Order: sequence, then structure tokens, then C-alpha cells
Amino acid sequence: MARILEHHAKQIFAQAGIPIPEGYPAISSDQAATIAEGMDGPVVIKALVPVGKRGEVGAVQFAEDSRGAAMAARDLIGRYIGAYMVDTVLVEERIDIESELYLSIIIDRDERKPRVVISADGGVSIERVAQENPDAIVSDTVSMTRGLPEYRARELWTQAGISGPIIPALGQLTHRLWRLFVEHDLRVIEINPLFHTPDQKIVAGDAVMSVDDSAGFRHPELARFVVPGTDRSWRPMTELEADAQRVHELDPYRGSARYLELEGGNIGFLCGGGGASLLLYDHLIEAGGEPANYAEIGGNPTEQKVAGMTRVVLSKPGVEGLFVAHNITNNTQTDVIARGVVTGIEHAGRDPRTTPVVAREAGLHDEEGRRIFEEAGIRYLGEDTTLSEAARQMVAAMTSGGER
Amino acid sequence: MTRLIDDSLRLLVQGITGREARMVTSHMIEYGTSVVSGVTPGKGGEDVDGVPVFDTVKQAIVETAPSASLISVPPAATLDAVGEAISSGIRLIVIATEGIPQHDVLRMLELSDESGTVIIGPNSVGVIRPGDSVKIGAIGGEHPARAFVPGRIGVISRSGGMTAEVGLTLRLAGLGVSTAISVGGDALIGSTPATLLAEFQEDPETDAVVLFGEPGTRFEEDVANHIAESKFTKPLVALIAGGFTEHLPEGTAFGHAAAIIEGDSGRPSNKRKVLETAGARVARTLDDVAGLLKNAG
Repeated sequence: MARILEHHAKQIFAQAGIPIPEGYPAISSDQAATIAEGMDGPVVIKALVPVGKRGEVGAVQFAEDSRGAAMAARDLIGRYIGAYMVDTVLVEERIDIESELYLSIIIDRDERKPRVVISADGGVSIERVAQENPDAIVSDTVSMTRGLPEYRARELWTQAGISGPIIPALGQLTHRLWRLFVEHDLRVIEINPLFHTPDQKIVAGDAVMSVDDSAGFRHPELARFVVPGTDRSWRPMTELEADAQRVHELDPYRGSARYLELEGGNIGFLCGGGGASLLLYDHLIEAGGEPANYAEIGGNPTEQKVAGMTRVVLSKPGVEGLFVAHNITNNTQTDVIARGVVTGIEHAGRDPRTTPVVAREAGLHDEEGRRIFEEAGIRYLGEDTTLSEAARQMVAAMTSGGER
Repeated sequence: MTRLIDDSLRLLVQGITGREARMVTSHMIEYGTSVVSGVTPGKGGEDVDGVPVFDTVKQAIVETAPSASLISVPPAATLDAVGEAISSGIRLIVIATEGIPQHDVLRMLELSDESGTVIIGPNSVGVIRPGDSVKIGAIGGEHPARAFVPGRIGVISRSGGMTAEVGLTLRLAGLGVSTAISVGGDALIGSTPATLLAEFQEDPETDAVVLFGEPGTRFEEDVANHIAESKFTKPLVALIAGGFTEHLPEGTAFGHAAAIIEGDSGRPSNKRKVLETAGARVARTLDDVAGLLKNAG
């Protein structure tokens, strides 16, 4: 689930007929000043980072003139918001407001339907409104086939306590937002705050769009907007993570591969599949081990992919051993895993005879897999060794060094 | 719900001419599954391992009367394949495809709800019933008996691989499997673990169920509710993986798309707690599962 930065999302809004404030991105304080001068009035300066609740961490600032805009831009550019360094700010006209509203469409995974969420109490986090003023929120599921027509949207807004000449505009805007949600295969689309102006207009104060990575193939129009790696929301992708992603994308349709770099640790973790890797990581911790990363590889990957992931896992400084383990496989060929691991260890410049490596690989072609591991001097464990026992043996191998 | 699969199964494979589907088809036939037909638009008239291939599901139904479909087509084509199967009257569908756009899955689930179709998956490795020697999907691979031997334990797993590992654990402990179901690793799936409990509640050949759970979703919480409300009364042993993810920043997916903790929901510690409170036995490792099952019996 990758995010689209606010100024790009707003471009998409504008094309869909959703009103937005006038605004332009700036990469320096001088540029911010020039933009503010052109606005001829108070402005808002916002850090363009893929982080939520920016208002609460000082990433949204207000200025009365171009000097103030320059100061705000100078303050924000180069600063970290969460783990993201700000390199661009959005300088926008400040809108006169009568009230602030809230509108979003999300996928409700429990109801297994899209859900539209509306609130007359916008500008603050919706989680807070849900706690402090739950009656202000109106929400309902939407059928993919029937959609969200304007009349339904008007009904919801009136339920939220809104009335008067703004109702038709809200109905229209909500329907347009629904169409964007469907057209771009979005997981989340949110406007908070949604400004209600004194002259009875509706303007999107913010724009959050999260795209569905698995629908990327049919949305080339979004590719240049998507910030990669923002499915991992607390920090940008590390070099090793980007390296692992490149390894995977060489042959994206053969097997799964993901790598998450973690702080500290000395055991390189290369396990699978999706469920067993979670269990194996738990077991490694319980046994007193210190994994340096989480990596999952499965779904019958190619030898090249296994080798690449092995190299990445072993490349992290401080990694002294390697834990390779899977559940008994359905279709993943353990001999291919074995060849990939041995090649990857070589590419990382390590000697499997002196590096502690434990492999628990049972299932398809495991006799051949065992032969390859053992010829390379790697400790092989088969189906008779349980996953938790394999984890204990890995931790024991670390303390005894590579010797056996 | 009647039994999900047994030896009366007549299987259609949509996307049968694909590389993966060909291999899976030959393994299914070898195991004993009656694969009656395949569909790949444009390849009607061909055959795969002796199984006739048709251009449309309608033709396959007229000629071969399948009772269920395994869908193994690319992500972009899955919604269309599901729509074709449902509109042709197929009421049990296993979707192997991974990485389907979420909006397409929402549409499929609307179609299945309206028609009363049971969907297993997406991203399911399949369903196996060792006592009848039938399976749908890659589950168990080429040699299912290595992991799945006939027995009286039902298995429901959010992980395809762990479905097999649980089967192996049971076999090594001298137990066996009645039916094992890989529900799929996504958050949006046709049949959740809780809805599948009915299958095992009614199956006289199932004495107890093993559930393999993961972080994210409310699937395990729903199972706990089913037990608490006495909708499921047989012993249930749960193993919930991924406790470590609670100590990492939230919002990251591990392993499966659905294994993601957001806010307070989806925490393995909470899943274990509510399951235990409801009366399920919670295993700390796979090694404990057989012991907990035997104590239960």
C-alpha cells in the first residue's frame, strides 16, 4: 500500500472536478517566498512527506506573507518528519473557512466492502473524533456494483447534521471521490480537513491517496506519483531493502521475496513461507537468538532469487550466521533453495564451513537438497527436526562458532 | 454446509494450460482427484494430462458436469474467471491466484454472497481430504502423503505452507487429517476460519480442529466468538505465529498481505487471549499441538 504525496493527489482531485486551494511545491525558501508573493495573502506551508497527522508534528505551518513563508520553508526543508527528510514543501493559499468537515473511503476488511466515512467535525484526527464525539461520525458500507450515488451521499451528510445550500456540492464531491476510489483502485482516499467556505463552497484542504500495489499493472498513470516503500510507514526503504526489491523484481512472478532490515542482531534470517517465517522468527527469539533482519522467501523461487536474497541477508554488517528454514514444502523445490543459498553465501564472500549456517528444508526434492547443503559443509536438518528445534540449533551454532 | 470435498468431487481447472496449473493438475490426478475438465479461452479442444480443455465454463459444464472449480489464472484475469464460474452455476471455487487487485476481490465477494457460492482463497494452496484421497490445488505438492495421512483432525490455516507443516506434525505424532484447508494469506478472503468451523462441526469424521493463525485481521477473534457462542463445540487447538511483530513499528506486512498490525487490532497476544478465554487450547509451539489434542480427546 503505497502513498501518493499531497500535491500529486491534489492534481488528481482537480482533474476529477474536486476543488483544491491554489498551491505550488517549493524546494527552497526563496521559491516558497516567490510563490507566497504571487498568492497575495496568507498562506499555508506543508511538508511533502508520506506521513499522516502532519499537523500534530509541526509539518503544517501558517504564514501571513512571503517573509513568513520563507521562514516556514527554511524551518521545514531538511528537517525530518518521522523518518522522512523534507526536501519539498507545498505553499498554498489559505482558505477562509466556516467549518471543517471530514470525508474518506476505505476498504472495510471485516464487512468486506468499501466504507464511506463522513464527519461534521473535521480538521482533527478521525480517531480522536471517534473517541470524543462519536455521534459526529456517519459511516456506511458501499456496494462495488451499485456505487455511491449523489443522493446517498446527501443522505449521509444530512445524517451527520449538515444542512443548507452546501448539501448539493457535498453530494457531488462525495460521488466524485467515490469515482476516484474505483477508477484508481485505491485502498484509502481521504480529505481532512474538507473546508466549507463562507461563500458556500467546498474545498479539499488535504488529499490522502493510498494505492493498491497489486493493481499497479493497470494504473501506469499513477506510477510516477507513488512513493515506493511507503507500505513500511515508519521509515524510508534502506539500501539493503532496495537491493532485495531489485533481486525480487528481476523475476517478479516466480516466488515471493521480502526483506526487512532490523536494528542490531547477528543472525541472518532467510525463511519461508509466509506463515512459517513468522513462527520461526518467534522461535529464534525464544531460543535466545538475535535476528538481524526478517526475510521471507517462498512460492518456489528461482535459484537466482534465493542467491540474491542470501547475499543481501549476509551483507548487513554484524551478521555472523545464517538461518535458512521452511515448512515442509508443497511445491517449493528444496534443491533449488539449497543451490541458491550456497551460491549466495559465495557471492557474499563467506565460507560456509566457517560461517554458522543451519538449514531446515524438507519437502519436494529434499534428498538432493540435503546433498547440496552437506557437500557445501552446511548443517542440514530435515522433516524429523521441528521448526522450534531448528531454531534452537541455530542459536547453539552461533555460540559454538562454525565448528561442529 | 455439507462436506466441502469428498470422493464425489468432480473438478474443473480454470487456467489449466498455465505452467503452474499443469503441474498441479497432474499432481491432483496422481493423488486421486477426479479432474474432469479444464478451461482456457482460446485453447478449447486441447488436453492436459488427458483432461479435455474447453473455451468456456458453460461448455465444460455441459460436457463434464464439474462440481467445483480451481482457479489458477493471472491476477488480472481472476475476477472474470470467478464471474464466469459463478454465472455458470459453480458453487465451490478455490482461488490459487495471489496478488489480485483488492477491488476485484471485493467484486468477487459480492458475487459469491449474492449467489451463495463458497470461495476458498484467494492465495490459497488448496483443500485436501486424505481419507478420500482427493485434493484441490497444490496442497501437499507431488507427494501429499508425506504431510497428510488420513485421520480425525481438521486443519484450518492462514498459511499454505503451514497447512502442510501442521499435517506433518500430526503424522509424526501418529495422528492424521480429516480435511485440511488453506484459507489464503490475504485479508479479503471468501471463507474465513470462523465460517469454515461449521464444516468441521458437522463432519462426523472430525474430532478436533487445529487452527494456524497470524497477526492482522479479526479471523482468530471471530473463531473465539464462535466457540464462546457454542457454534463450535469440538476441541480446538490454536497456534498463533508472529508474536515478535508486536514489538516492531506497526503498519508493516510480514509474510502475508494480511499479516499486518494496525493500531490495537490484529495483535497475536490478544488473539491468544480471547481464544483461551473462549475455551480453545493455545499452543506455544507446533511441538505442543499433538499433546494438546491428545489431552483433549
